[in-house]
Amino acid sequence: MPTAMATAAGMATGPGSRVTRYAKSTAASVTPVRPGKTHTLSALDNAMERHAVHLVLYCRAAPGVDRDPLKESLSEVLSLYPTMVGRLTRGEGDAPGSGWIVKCNDAGVRMVDARAAVTLDEWLATASADDEMDLAYFEQMGSEPYIWSPFYVQLTEFTDKSYALGLSCTHLHNDPTAAALFFHCWAAAHRRSTSPYSPFLHSPSFAVSPAATPPPAPPMLAAKSTSAPPRADAADSMSSATFHFPADAMRALLSSLAPETTPFAALAALFWLRVAGASTTEENEKDLTLALDFRKKMHAPLPTGYYGSAVHFTRASADLSSGLSAVAAALDRRVATVPEEELWAAVEWLHARQADGGEPFQMYGPELTCMALDHLPLYGAEFVAGEPPARVACRVAGAVGEGIVIVLPAAEGDAARDVVVTLPAETTARICRDDEVLRYGAEVVAGTKVETGAKAK
Amino acid sequence: MPSAPGSGFSGSVSLKYVKLGYQYLVNHFLTILLLPVMAAAALELVRLGPDELLSLWRSLHLDLVHILCSAFLLVFVATVYFMSRPRPVYLVDYCCYKPSPSFRVPFTTFMEHIKLISNNEKSLKFQTRILERSGLGEETCLPPANHYIPPSPSMEAARAEAQLVIFNAIDDLVLRTGLKPKDIDILVVNCSLFSPTPSLSAMIINRYKLRSNIRSFNLSGMGCSAGLISIDLARDMLQVHPNSNALVISTEIITPNFYHGSRRDMLLPNCLFRMGAAAILLSNRRRESSRAKYRLMHVVRTHKGADDRAYRCVYEEEDDEGHSGISLSKELMAIAGEALKSNITTMGPLVLPMSEQLLFFFRLVGRKVINKRWKPYIPDFKLAFDHFCIHAGGRAVIDELQKNLDLSARHVEASRMTLHRFGNTSSSSLWYELAYIEGKGRMRKGDRVWQIGFGSGFKCNSAVWKCLRTVKTPTDGPWDDCIHRYPVHIPEVVKL
Repeated sequence: MPTAMATAAGMATGPGSRVTRYAKSTAASVTPVRPGKTHTLSALDNAMERHAVHLVLYCRAAPGVDRDPLKESLSEVLSLYPTMVGRLTRGEGDAPGSGWIVKCNDAGVRMVDARAAVTLDEWLATASADDEMDLAYFEQMGSEPYIWSPFYVQLTEFTDKSYALGLSCTHLHNDPTAAALFFHCWAAAHRRSTSPYSPFLHSPSFAVSPAATPPPAPPMLAAKSTSAPPRADAADSMSSATFHFPADAMRALLSSLAPETTPFAALAALFWLRVAGASTTEENEKDLTLALDFRKKMHAPLPTGYYGSAVHFTRASADLSSGLSAVAAALDRRVATVPEEELWAAVEWLHARQADGGEPFQMYGPELTCMALDHLPLYGAEFVAGEPPARVACRVAGAVGEGIVIVLPAAEGDAARDVVVTLPAETTARICRDDEVLRYGAEVVAGTKVETGAKAK
Repeated sequence: MPSAPGSGFSGSVSLKYVKLGYQYLVNHFLTILLLPVMAAAALELVRLGPDELLSLWRSLHLDLVHILCSAFLLVFVATVYFMSRPRPVYLVDYCCYKPSPSFRVPFTTFMEHIKLISNNEKSLKFQTRILERSGLGEETCLPPANHYIPPSPSMEAARAEAQLVIFNAIDDLVLRTGLKPKDIDILVVNCSLFSPTPSLSAMIINRYKLRSNIRSFNLSGMGCSAGLISIDLARDMLQVHPNSNALVISTEIITPNFYHGSRRDMLLPNCLFRMGAAAILLSNRRRESSRAKYRLMHVVRTHKGADDRAYRCVYEEEDDEGHSGISLSKELMAIAGEALKSNITTMGPLVLPMSEQLLFFFRLVGRKVINKRWKPYIPDFKLAFDHFCIHAGGRAVIDELQKNLDLSARHVEASRMTLHRFGNTSSSSLWYELAYIEGKGRMRKGDRVWQIGFGSGFKCNSAVWKCLRTVKTPTDGPWDDCIHRYPVHIPEVVKL
């Protein structure tokens, strides 16, 4: 076993953590990349510089699920992703308005080996949502982007030989959809088969022709760009929790609402109401930011495997005093009728702003944001045929302020949902004990730190 | 022979024919002499007629005793001749370890790791320059321990690498030849830099449950030319033990030898050495001659250790900070050239055709007696050998030998391509090169192969093999998935 250089390499987990990271290496792909290949990031990609995506996939112990075979299948699947193994560099000679370009120089992704002191089931029962991030190592881009790996894969072995695969990447490269589909491809490679969601690399997907007149600023993005940048330690005041809504809980929830309400709208409305803490009497017209995956909502839809960010932020309004049903209906209406022009207006404005030398700003937040990811085939990433992951967790880092609510599919199947919330610490603590949220039969599967060791009910 | 000045094109062409004629005359001298004699004798016999021959026979007055004694003498001489001939040593087959592509080390990864581990700008620039001009490709492999930041060279990792490369090579060999572990009589393992207790040969005996009366040898510390030393040892053992099989394993274990310091002369091995291993089955059994690929003709070993410069040329020591590494002196190429000259001086008379040897002899006499300033004649080894396997120690070594032996690009292609695809795998590189030649379908029955290895000491060892049967392609082996892409053009400098 390699000697522990964790502290020296900056990988050490906090005191009291049950996860020990003991070695850092680089995983190369099995096929050399053709020299000189580059990939230009779109304006939308460049705008996401402040954020990172973290995914943790829990894989139960099985023959064939072990460190070395996983590393081999990772090297094989990396041959499909020449951009993942590349490095970021500024286009056009370091001019700040030129955006990032990925130089596909075959450098590989960073791999961290770790060990957890408990079994998988113990971990799932007792770990807090913040502890979960010990399983997804990440390094911020330092002063030398040329030797900085934008992707980090952490392989954590539990005492019962189950594994947690942690994938962290910068949002410049991948939004949560693309990151989740990478797991799908990796699992398929591990099973010696192919995934239907192979990566689609096409820089001009979001290309815009430079406009004669500068495009108008979309109001929401303009507000985000001018709001004060968060304090350096702002992230520390946020905490996360994961709620599991089993199938009957979802059925109970949906039956209390208008028919045709989508699970996402129902859950987004529920959490919005409880976080806002609105009273049900006075008129209370408020806005909620929705983060939607626009791959399939475009007129010329992008393949699901589109490599890059295709997240669109749109604002939905509803009267919080009108009740859960009406709010959910309002959200559904908004999702169904978001015009594509709104997305293109945002892309054009971001492109022009970037060309003028504008710095990237926080895109997720600072207002409360709800992200719909329940269309992702997260549980189709079967590393052993017929064995879906025990759970998949997802975070978007850098969403400080009022926080973010992400709706994910759950291990159980179609009807059930998981909801991951990252909110200011007191709000998270309050929500975890909120009767309205837990009324339908939901449970907190990964609570806040103070509640580790016991399931909060 | 120097051409006359101003002879022009027609002059050089006619010179070529003169040279060809001379070679044909000298090399087939006996035949040319014998033919007219036999023709004259046959003519005489025909002229005499059967009756005359019979009367000639009767006039000899041979009786039974004479005939018996002559027959006995003939049988005696024949027996002594056959018994004193050395036992033939057949190379039944060999297998090279093919690393899994997930162990690949692209140039960028290598450079990135150096930047992440050390802050020394100068040594970083130096290693970049080495890598750019090294002649290595993007598919060379390092063992798992070297992929860590920083590398983690524990003994357990070194043993794991040894088990991985050696057992894979032996398993492939067993599959190809049907070799049964209990049939191995002699085991020779050479691995220069990693020598655990119990030895690597004991590790193999334990894993494959070899016989308790096996004769095993473990050669360590003998450098990159140790592969041919092992072959030589196996050959000597096969002379002593009739009807035996010898398994020879050549490898170099990279894990324990990463140099952590910044001395330039010690950084080269980090950049060039890669993982590899070869398993070779030798036999002196008659029945193997029908399926053996090659027969060992000569092994010539030259050791220049008596000279201090040569002795210190490749030297393992600790630098000022206490990091141990192998320093390569700047005179390496010159010493290698001298060692090669010594080696071919011994090899020449064994393999060169008479025409070349006479030319060399006359030129030598001429230099001593007539004119000291005549340049020594460099025999044309291309007449003696069809294929050359030059140790892929680095681009400079191959360039130097190509110049010294006046070889064409095609002759050194196997060495260059092995360096590109597998890096410097030390003692096993000669076998990867042989596998390349076979993979390209160039090995025909009767072809002679010359393997030349260089190593610390300073040693130059060479072995000559003769091909016994045309090797069919496609072959399975380390080149099977990439041979169609070779040869590739290797640029002088790769821009990193």
